[in-house]
Amino acid sequence: MNLSARTEEKVMFDHIASMLRTYEKKRENLMAILQEIQGKYGYVAPPALQMVAKHLGLSSCEVYGVATFYNQFRFNPPGKHQIRVCLGTACHVRGGDIILENFERKLEIKAGETTPDREFSIDRVACVGCCALAPVAIVDDTVYGHMAPSKVEGVILGFEIEKERKEREKQDSESQE
Amino acid sequence: MNLKSKETLIDVFASIKTEAEKRFGKIKGDSNQNIFIGMATCGLASGAIEVKRAFEEALAEQKINARVISVGCLGHCYAEPLVIIDKPGFPPILYHNVTPGKANLLVKAFLRGDDPVFEHVLGAMEENELIPTVMEFPRFNQEKRVVMGKCGLIDPEDIYQYIAQGGYSALAKALTLDPEQIIFEVLESGLRGRGGAGFLTGKKWQFVEDAEEKGKFVICNADEGDPGAYMDRAILESNPHQVIEGIAICAYAVGAKRAIVYVRAEYPLAVKIVQKAIEQARELGLLGKGILETQFDLDVTVFQGSGAFVCGEETALIRSIQGQRGMPQPRPPYPAQTGLWGKPTVINNVKTLASIPPIIEKGGKWLKGIGTKKSPGTAIFSVVGNIVHAGLVEIPMGVTLRSLVFDICGGVPNQKRFKAVQIGGPSGGCLPEQFLDTPIDFDSLTEAGAMMGSGGMVVMDENACMIDVARYFLDFTQHESCGKCTFCRIGTKHLLDTLERITKGKGRDGDIELLEDLSIDIKEGSLCGLGKTAPNPVLTTIEYFRDEYEAHIQEKRCPAMMCRELTAYYIDLDKCARGCDACVGSCPTESIFTTRDRKKAIDQTLCVKCGECMTACPSEYDAVRKVSPPELAPKIARPEEG
Amino acid sequence: MVTLIVDNKEIETQEGSTLLQACLDNGIYIPNLCYLNGIEDPPGSCRLCFVEIEGYDQPRTSCRVKVQQGMVVRTNTEHVRRLQKTAFELLLSTHHVECRNCPANKKCELQRIAKFLHFGLKLKRLEPLERDIEVEHEHPFLEYIPTRCVLCGKCVFVCRKRNGQPMLSFAKRGFDTVISFFGENDKPVDVCNECYACAEICPVGALLVKDSPNTSNPWKRGSFNDKGKCQTPLK
Ligand SMILES: Cc1cc2nc3c(=O)[nH]c(=O)nc-3n(C[C@H](O)[C@H](O)[C@H](O)COP(=O)(O)O)c2cc1C
Ligand code: SF4
Ligand code: SF4
Ligand code: SF4
Ligand code: SF4
Ligand code: FES
Ligand code: FES
Ligand code: FES
Repeated sequence: MNLSARTEEKVMFDHIASMLRTYEKKRENLMAILQEIQGKYGYVAPPALQMVAKHLGLSSCEVYGVATFYNQFRFNPPGKHQIRVCLGTACHVRGGDIILENFERKLEIKAGETTPDREFSIDRVACVGCCALAPVAIVDDTVYGHMAPSKVEGVILGFEIEKERKEREKQDSESQE
Repeated sequence: MNLKSKETLIDVFASIKTEAEKRFGKIKGDSNQNIFIGMATCGLASGAIEVKRAFEEALAEQKINARVISVGCLGHCYAEPLVIIDKPGFPPILYHNVTPGKANLLVKAFLRGDDPVFEHVLGAMEENELIPTVMEFPRFNQEKRVVMGKCGLIDPEDIYQYIAQGGYSALAKALTLDPEQIIFEVLESGLRGRGGAGFLTGKKWQFVEDAEEKGKFVICNADEGDPGAYMDRAILESNPHQVIEGIAICAYAVGAKRAIVYVRAEYPLAVKIVQKAIEQARELGLLGKGILETQFDLDVTVFQGSGAFVCGEETALIRSIQGQRGMPQPRPPYPAQTGLWGKPTVINNVKTLASIPPIIEKGGKWLKGIGTKKSPGTAIFSVVGNIVHAGLVEIPMGVTLRSLVFDICGGVPNQKRFKAVQIGGPSGGCLPEQFLDTPIDFDSLTEAGAMMGSGGMVVMDENACMIDVARYFLDFTQHESCGKCTFCRIGTKHLLDTLERITKGKGRDGDIELLEDLSIDIKEGSLCGLGKTAPNPVLTTIEYFRDEYEAHIQEKRCPAMMCRELTAYYIDLDKCARGCDACVGSCPTESIFTTRDRKKAIDQTLCVKCGECMTACPSEYDAVRKVSPPELAPKIARPEEG
Repeated sequence: MVTLIVDNKEIETQEGSTLLQACLDNGIYIPNLCYLNGIEDPPGSCRLCFVEIEGYDQPRTSCRVKVQQGMVVRTNTEHVRRLQKTAFELLLSTHHVECRNCPANKKCELQRIAKFLHFGLKLKRLEPLERDIEVEHEHPFLEYIPTRCVLCGKCVFVCRKRNGQPMLSFAKRGFDTVISFFGENDKPVDVCNECYACAEICPVGALLVKDSPNTSNPWKRGSFNDKGKCQTPLK
C-alpha cells in the first residue's frame, strides 16, 4: 500500500470513530451503522467491523457474521467506476449474462472483483427496475439500456478517454505552474 | 371514542382537507397549464430527467407559463418516459416515449399553438370529443385500479395532492370506529395478503388485536426480492401515502404504537420518498403523537434491508431488524404471537396495506364485489420478458392468463410463438400454453403448480429454453439461500449443478429422476418458504417440458438453441455476400475471419455465441445460421497467414 | 407428567418437554444434530429429527414440537426415513470423509446416524460437492475444519451461553456458510484457553484443540472428549 492510500485509510477510520459516537450503543443500530459506512466509503474495512463491535459491546465475530450475511456489504475497496450488470429476470431473458461476460473479458476480472488499478469493479445485480430497457448495465449512476455485447467496449473506452483527458489537463495545468 | 373527540377529529381533518383542496386547486382547476412527468426509477432510467429539463428550457425560452410536476409511475414501462399535458380547453393528454426533442415540439406546437401533435399522443385521460381516450385500449380498460389508482397522477412528494384526491379520509373515518369494526370490515372484504401466501389479512390482524401484550408492531414488508418484480417499489415511489395510511389504520386496529417500513436498500428513491412522506404526514398531525387530536399515537420509521432475498420471509425480516443474521426461524410461533423484539407483530405486504384505505372508505363488501369469490380484489403483476407492453398491470382477480398476456399486454413481439409464462418469480412455476385459460387467483395458480408469489410474471417465446429458465431461478435461490437448513443449503446446490450439467451437454440418464426426487424432498424438508418453493421451477419445467430435458440429455441438443454449449453459429457461404464485412466489427471476440474467396466464416474456438453477427448481417443476405447441436456447423479452417 | 405413544409404546415425560427430548429420554433414538437439551427456541436446522404425528399429513421436526397428552407418534415410517436419508446424504455430499485420521472417529455423530439409517458413509446418487473455503481467521488455540463441519451451530450456542458473547460465529451465507473466529486477536484469548466448550460439544471432528505449547488444554490435539454427546445407547 502506498503512503497516500494509508493516510486515506487513517482518515476514514477517524471519521468512522466520530460517526460511531452519534449512535446509541444499541444492537438495533448495527445495520444502520454498517449501512452508513458502506454508503460513505463503498466498503466496510475489517478494522471498521471491530470498531463497530467495540462500540456496540458485541464480539467482533458476531458483527462479522452479520455483515458477511448481507449482499450489500463489501470488504475491500471498490473501483473508481462501478459497473453493475443487471441479471434480473427480464435482463436474463434478453442475454444479460453475455453482457456481463463481455465486461469480465474486457476488464479481465470476474464479477465481484476490482481491476488491479482500482479503476473498475464489476458486480451483478438483480432487477434495477427498468426491465423494459433490458438488458441493462449501470455504470456509476448512468443507466445503459438495451445493452449489446458490442457496446461494452465503447462504454469502457469512454471512461478511459475521460481519464486520459483529465490526466492531460492535470499535466497541462501542472506544467503551466 | 367519545362524541366530543369524534367531532374534533372530523373538524381537524376537514380543515386539513380544505387546505389541500385550496393548494391542489391551484395546480389543477385554474387556467394554468400543467405538465406531469413520470419520474419513478423506470422513468428516470428512460431519460425523464432530460425530458424534464427540455420542457423547462423550452418553456422559459418561449416564455410560456406552465407548471412542470414530477409524478410517479403509471405502470406503462414500455412507453416511458410518459408525459401528461393538461391544458385548459383540452382533455389531459398522455404522450409516450417522450424525448427532449419531442418535449420541445410539444411546447411549441401544443402549448403555444393549439396542435396536440396527434402522432405522439397515446390517448386522452378523460372522455372528450377530440381524441380517443386511453380507456379504449385493452391495456387500460381491462385494468381495475384499487391499489395503483393514483399512481402516476399525483406528486408523491406532496401530501396535499393525495389528500385533495380523497387521501387520509379513510384514516379519519377509521379513527371514529372501534378497532373491532375495522377488523370486521377487513374480514368481510375477504382480503388476502399480497405478499405471496394469501393469508386472510383480517384474521392476521385479529390475532394481534387479541394478544394481551403491550408494545405491538406493524411492519410493512417492502423487501421485494424477486429479481423480476418491482410493483412494490413503483407504489412506494408513486403514492407512498396510501401505504402509510393503510399502516396507520392497521396500527389503530391492532393497537400498535410503532410501525416500520422495511424497504430494500437497493431502492434508494423509494426510501427517500417514503421518508419524506412520513415526515409530511407527521407535520400535518396524521402520524406521531395524538393523531388528528385523538388519543392514538403512531411512530413510523423506515428500515433499510441490506440485500438478502430471504429477509422477505417474515421471521428472517424480524431478525435483520434486530441486527442479526437474517436466518428464518421455524414457525410456530408466528410473528402475530412472537414477533419483533418478541412482541405481537403484524407483517403485511405493501399492496395489502395499500388496499386498506379503499376498503375502509367503501366497505368490505365493495372489495368482495371485485375479483373472485375466494380471491377478492385485484392482483398486480409486473409483466416482463418477451412481451409487447411490458409494465405493471393491476387486474381484477379471475382474469385469465390469456387475456392478461394477449389482450392487456399485447402478446409476444416479433411474430414469435408464445411458449410459457413463469409466474411468481423464483418460488413460482412455469406454465405452458395449455394453461392460458387458467384464471388468475391464489388457488387456481397454486393448483397449476405455479403461485401468485411476488407477482413477477415473465413471458417467454419459442426461443426460451426451459431448462435454462429453471437453471436461472435455481441459480438465484441457491445464491440467496440463508444456509441454515440442510435441504436448502446443500440440496439447491445439487439441483443447480445438475441443471448446469444438462445445459452444458453433460446430462446423464437418471438426471431427470434425480432432479424430481431431490425436488420433492427439498420441498418437504426445508425450514422456510424459500427452500419449500425453490424446486417449483424445476418440477414444473420437467412436468410440462420433459421432451426438452430429454433432448438436452440424450441428443445433447437444445431445441430452443439457447444453451450456448449446445449451439453454434456459422455463416452460410452460399448466402454471404463477397466483400461484405458487416458482421466483422460486431463480434466482440474477433472470431470472424475472411475465407479464401473473400467471404466470412466464424472461428468456433473463439466464438462466444453472443449472436451479434446474426443481428449485424444485412437482412438481404441473412447469412448467419444458428444450429444445435454444434456439430451441425460446417468446419471451415482459417486460411494460413500470407 | 404427560403420556404419549411413540412407535406403539407408551412413554411418560415432563410437560413442556420437546418431543425429541422425550423420545431420547425414553431410549428411542431419533437422528439429530442441531438440538441440545435445554436450548430455548431450537434452531431446527439439521432437518434430521423428522417424525410423523397423528393429525398432521406431513412429517415434522420433533425438536420443534412440544409434547401433548395422548400424542401418537411414529419415528420410523417410510416417509420419515426418506427425508432423513436425503438430509443425511446431502450433509455427506459436502463432508470430507476420512474417519481413520479423524479424532472424532468412533464417537462421531455422523457415524452413528449412518449406522442407524443403514446408510453407510458412501454417497449413492449424489456427487461430492467441493467447497473451496480457506480458513481466513486462524485461532491461536482452536482449529476449525470446514469440510467436516455440519453447521449445527452448537458451538456458537454453547460459547454464547458460557461467555455471554460468542467468540465464534456463523459467517457468510448459503452454501458458503462457515464458522468464523473473526477478531480472534482483539479479545482475551484466555477465555478460550480456559473454556474449550465448543470443541467439546462439536458432534463431529470439526473443532479441535490445537497442539500448541501455550494451550492449557487438558486434551491434546487428536484426543476427543465425548461429554455433551447424546448418551442414549444405540439399538
Ligand atoms: C423467501 C421468501 C421471501 C419473501 N419475500 C417477500 C417480499 O419480498 N415481500 C413480501 O411482502 N412478502 C414476502 N414474503 C412473504 C412474507 O414472509 C410474509 O408472508 C408476507 O409479508 C405477509 O404479508 P401479507 O399477509 O400481506 O401477504 C416472502 C416469503 C419468503 C418465504
Ligand atoms: S429453507 Fe433455505 S432459506 Fe429457509 S431456512 Fe432453510 S436454508 Fe435458510
Ligand atoms: S456469435 Fe458473437 S462471438 Fe460468435 S461470431 Fe457471432 S458475433 Fe462473434
Ligand atoms: S467427522 Fe465423523 S464422519 Fe467425518 S471424518 Fe470425522 S469421524 Fe468420520
Ligand atoms: S464446528 Fe462443530 S459444533 Fe460448530 S457448527 Fe460445525 S459441526 Fe457444529
Ligand atoms: S431485470 Fe434488469 S432491469 Fe429488471
Ligand atoms: S412505468 Fe414505472 S415501473 Fe415501469
Ligand atoms: S435436531 Fe431437529 S432439526 Fe436438527
